[in-house]
Amino acid sequence: MLEVESLTTRYGSISALRDVGLSVGAGEVVCLIGPNGAGKTTLLSTISGLLNPVSGSIRLENEEITSWSPDRILRSGLALVPEHRRIFGDLTVDENLLVGGVTVASARRLELKEEVISLFPVLGEKLATEAGYLSGGEAQQLAIGRALMSEPKILLMDEPALGLAPVLAEVVFELIDQLRQNGQTLLVVEQNARRILEVADRGYVMRSGNIVISGDSDELISRDDLFETYIGKTDSNHD
Amino acid sequence: MSKELLQSRLITLIGPISIFAVLVLGGLLYASFGGSARDGLITQMLINAIIVLGIQIYVGNTGVLSFGHIGFGAIAGYAFAICAISPTRKNSQIPDAPFGLSEVDLTPFQSVLISILLTVIVAFIIGLGLARSGARSGSVAATVITLALLFVVHEVAKNWIDLTRGGKTGLSFSPLGNVTLQGRGWIYIALLLAMITARLFKETRLGRLAQAAREDDLAARAVGIDPAVQQMVSLLLSVTIVSIGSSLRVFELGSINPRLFFFKFTLLTLTMLIVGGRNSVTGAIVGVVIITAGSEFTRYLAGPSVDMAALDWILRSGLTDIFLGASMLGFMIFKPAGLLGDWELDNWLKKFIPKKETEEREQSRVGKDQIRDLQSLKVEGVVVDFGGFRALDKAEIRATTDEVVGLIGPNGAGKTTLLNVITGVVESNEGALTVNGKSIEGLQPHMIARAGLVRTFQNLRLFHLLSVRENIEVARLASPDAKTRLGTDTIEQLLHLTGLNDLSNRRARELDYGNARRLELARAAAANPLFLLLDEPTSGMSDHESEAMIHQVRSVASLIGAGVVVIDHDLNFITGICDRVYVLDQGRIISTGSPEEISRDEKVRVAYLGGS
Amino acid sequence: MTELIQQIVDGLGRGGIYALIALGIAVIFGVMHLVNFAHGELITVSAYSAYGLFQAGWDWWLIAPAVILIAGMTSVVIEFLAFRWVRGAPDFTMLMTSFGIHFVVQALFVMYVSANFRQFPRPDWIFNTVKIAGISFEVFDVAVIFFTLLTLIATFWILQKTMFGISLRAAAEDFDAARLMGVRSDRIIRGAFALSGLLAGVAAVFWLMRSGQAGPTAGLTPMLKGVLAALIGGLGSLGGAVLGGVTLGLVEVMLISRLPEGLVGLTDGIVFLLIAFLFVFRPQGFISVRRAERV
Repeated sequence: MLEVESLTTRYGSISALRDVGLSVGAGEVVCLIGPNGAGKTTLLSTISGLLNPVSGSIRLENEEITSWSPDRILRSGLALVPEHRRIFGDLTVDENLLVGGVTVASARRLELKEEVISLFPVLGEKLATEAGYLSGGEAQQLAIGRALMSEPKILLMDEPALGLAPVLAEVVFELIDQLRQNGQTLLVVEQNARRILEVADRGYVMRSGNIVISGDSDELISRDDLFETYIGKTDSNHD
Repeated sequence: MSKELLQSRLITLIGPISIFAVLVLGGLLYASFGGSARDGLITQMLINAIIVLGIQIYVGNTGVLSFGHIGFGAIAGYAFAICAISPTRKNSQIPDAPFGLSEVDLTPFQSVLISILLTVIVAFIIGLGLARSGARSGSVAATVITLALLFVVHEVAKNWIDLTRGGKTGLSFSPLGNVTLQGRGWIYIALLLAMITARLFKETRLGRLAQAAREDDLAARAVGIDPAVQQMVSLLLSVTIVSIGSSLRVFELGSINPRLFFFKFTLLTLTMLIVGGRNSVTGAIVGVVIITAGSEFTRYLAGPSVDMAALDWILRSGLTDIFLGASMLGFMIFKPAGLLGDWELDNWLKKFIPKKETEEREQSRVGKDQIRDLQSLKVEGVVVDFGGFRALDKAEIRATTDEVVGLIGPNGAGKTTLLNVITGVVESNEGALTVNGKSIEGLQPHMIARAGLVRTFQNLRLFHLLSVRENIEVARLASPDAKTRLGTDTIEQLLHLTGLNDLSNRRARELDYGNARRLELARAAAANPLFLLLDEPTSGMSDHESEAMIHQVRSVASLIGAGVVVIDHDLNFITGICDRVYVLDQGRIISTGSPEEISRDEKVRVAYLGGS
Repeated sequence: MTELIQQIVDGLGRGGIYALIALGIAVIFGVMHLVNFAHGELITVSAYSAYGLFQAGWDWWLIAPAVILIAGMTSVVIEFLAFRWVRGAPDFTMLMTSFGIHFVVQALFVMYVSANFRQFPRPDWIFNTVKIAGISFEVFDVAVIFFTLLTLIATFWILQKTMFGISLRAAAEDFDAARLMGVRSDRIIRGAFALSGLLAGVAAVFWLMRSGQAGPTAGLTPMLKGVLAALIGGLGSLGGAVLGGVTLGLVEVMLISRLPEGLVGLTDGIVFLLIAFLFVFRPQGFISVRRAERV
């Protein structure tokens, strides 16, 4: 479904991604973990067209989408739930969902809205509320629901559980699990490595702009060096 | 002023003086081949140059786009005319002038002084308004206030007929206004004065602080600069020069009416400034010459002496206006910094002047014997709510000037928010912040910086157009304390410690990422903080670089005798540098201790990796 | 009392025109973060179009819709020729660019039409009065209020109910997020300029009916008032722009009727001073638009 090859991106003068490659197959849930500043968000931003890579290629269903504009990439079937959600706070929940479906025909848009509401009943109750007044958990559901409105072939999520209390974060993970069962292809960036690995099929671990480890979830979760990639080697100061 | 500084200022003067000489000689030469029309043109150009230099002082140094300077010019022009026109003429033109002004009889020189005084008073009031509106580079409210000033002055000039004789006729000195050559000597003096003032102001402490705030308002505040002060001084100085130029303009033309100082003249002067490069004094003059020549040429093309039927559709009146408008538009779209950017002739000339090796530098008073008493930073019970989201929940940290304290935690834990609260960028809902027992709550960011807390920025906020050295110098100049406590040799030491000495003349925006981070560190240190607050100093660095940073941060901190609070995600770095570490998760401190203790704490592992 | 009501209606009439101009400025500010000082040129273009169409023998009833369309198209053309190139540029550059356009358009008219003002007939009914509940009003004021309301209702309907309007508001709040949803930036910006131009066209019709002349600087005063109204309301806030426009109109009328004879000419001056004071105490206008700066 999604193939990324030797992608290099500069962000300002940082070389934020160095020769990154990954792939996501149809129906797969793949997660991307690693410490802050490893380049995960940069990678998702580059794939979805917000940043232009210096070199490398991104293919969606064998179509080269490198350096396309974000709206064109969305139209070809790749949606992103951005970091910090970025829902439109001045718009109502209803309008947020409609904007999410701006690329689909209007009749289909209304059907999709019903589908999303059945997936997130709380949004149905608050359709007329301005999204800025939603709680963190509701806002996250709206961000995901809004992205689903474009019927993406593959959905990218950037830290969907960020800033949520553990109970609400759990709701997000259950939701990811449910999307997986619906056959949705997903690429998820997440802090909570253990929890996301329980849900995902495969994972990639990034550090300093590189993918340093990759493998099946079961394999990754049992690796001892995982914590080290987060916080650096600690052995130099062992007493 | 030290001898060295005086010398460098004198060298700087070579620039404006040589440009002045070229301009005046060139003008005279050009005028000597033509009649009085050329003479008048050159005189006008020199006067326009004075006004443009005046505008440059404000717009160039602060980055605030002002449409009001020609409004100030109108005030000055009217004040000058009303003072300088003889009572006999006034009695026939404005017999009902208020305050007995029709009887006032002053020499042109006295009138200029009055006009400066009046305009500066108005500018001071406007300046207070600009400061309140939070003026900074490109800010809209400030531009609209200045635009409104231009209109108010125009309306008053048009409608206060008793004073100004209204818009139709205006005021005039003599029936024919034939005073062209009377003011030449004064024009030369004023022009030279304007050039020297504009050029030197760029190099003064206030000028540099203004430029720093122009480049990045927030970063400037973070090292202790209060942009409002710089902007006010720039404005008053700038308006003084504009007043002189405007008075001369009125004197030269022999009359004044409201249209003389309105939109057209604003367009002309701003285009001159922008084409040459608004940040450059040399550029301002280059712009004046180019635009004057261009305007004259288009006027000639559109005039009756050129007759080309095929081009009739373009060679017609209005061509000059198109030329001006298109120059402004074209430069904004294709070369917004203007022809010269911030290039100055004297900087270029300085390259040819051999440097003396034995330069005496002000010795820093920071020595081993001058280490400060132990000071403390306390952050207690800080709560911050963003909407319904609690970013910080009773967070607390303590630090003293003899230690390096780390603050770590997963993404979104609230580390940067805590730093923003400490530095006054974000307001807290609850909590206490004290430095040495003194509360710093509610202080403006620049006051907090002067109280001893200076930060760096995660997303790099350097003063891009300034050189590496200037970035550091500006921070040292920002607060009175820093200047007295740290000598100029501190700058060299900081450059050396951060490995930037070979790059010291590069512009900050040319630096690669690692060097930019190190410059953030050096700049913060030069502001003489009690505590350096570092936000992710190693992010984006290679492992090798971040290891070197451990030593760099430590040596910089001990050079200036400051404590360090550092946010980072790299435990390798944190372990190497910190004496104590706080772990923040979901807005709460979940663990404290030595780096070793932290790395063994199960709560920390859970916070990072999740699970239980 | 009667007088006060008349003044209020008069003020609403003026304010309505300002509101339409300000709304157009706010729409563009929303999507591009640009204060369009060239907005007044749409009124200049409208004025010359009206003049030209009069020469061709058209009547006001036909000229009005034509002028509105022409203003809308001009706005899109200006975006295509100039503003497109400075999207995302620093604020200083965008401010200066819009002024550059202002001057170029003005100069084009000086070059190809005339530097002098051209007169054209005002509709004969505009000075008629009508009695409502025993109080007489100018027909013109009533008409302006009616059509302004109609235009505002239509505009807010577009903004609230159509996909274009919703996308535009979304883009105004977070342009990148809107692009991630598939909103096309070219289309939305062009649409914003078209909408803004149409609004300016409606305002121009009323403005010209009252002034009855076309000149290269015809757009200067309406532009300035529109920008001020948008700022009073809080830049970027659409409702604030309307509120700002109406407030400005009311304040002007109140000042004109209360100032002593000799000072009426200074009305604009006094209004500007009042606004300058407002900025000193509330730089963000009546309604502040949240725009977080990330540190």
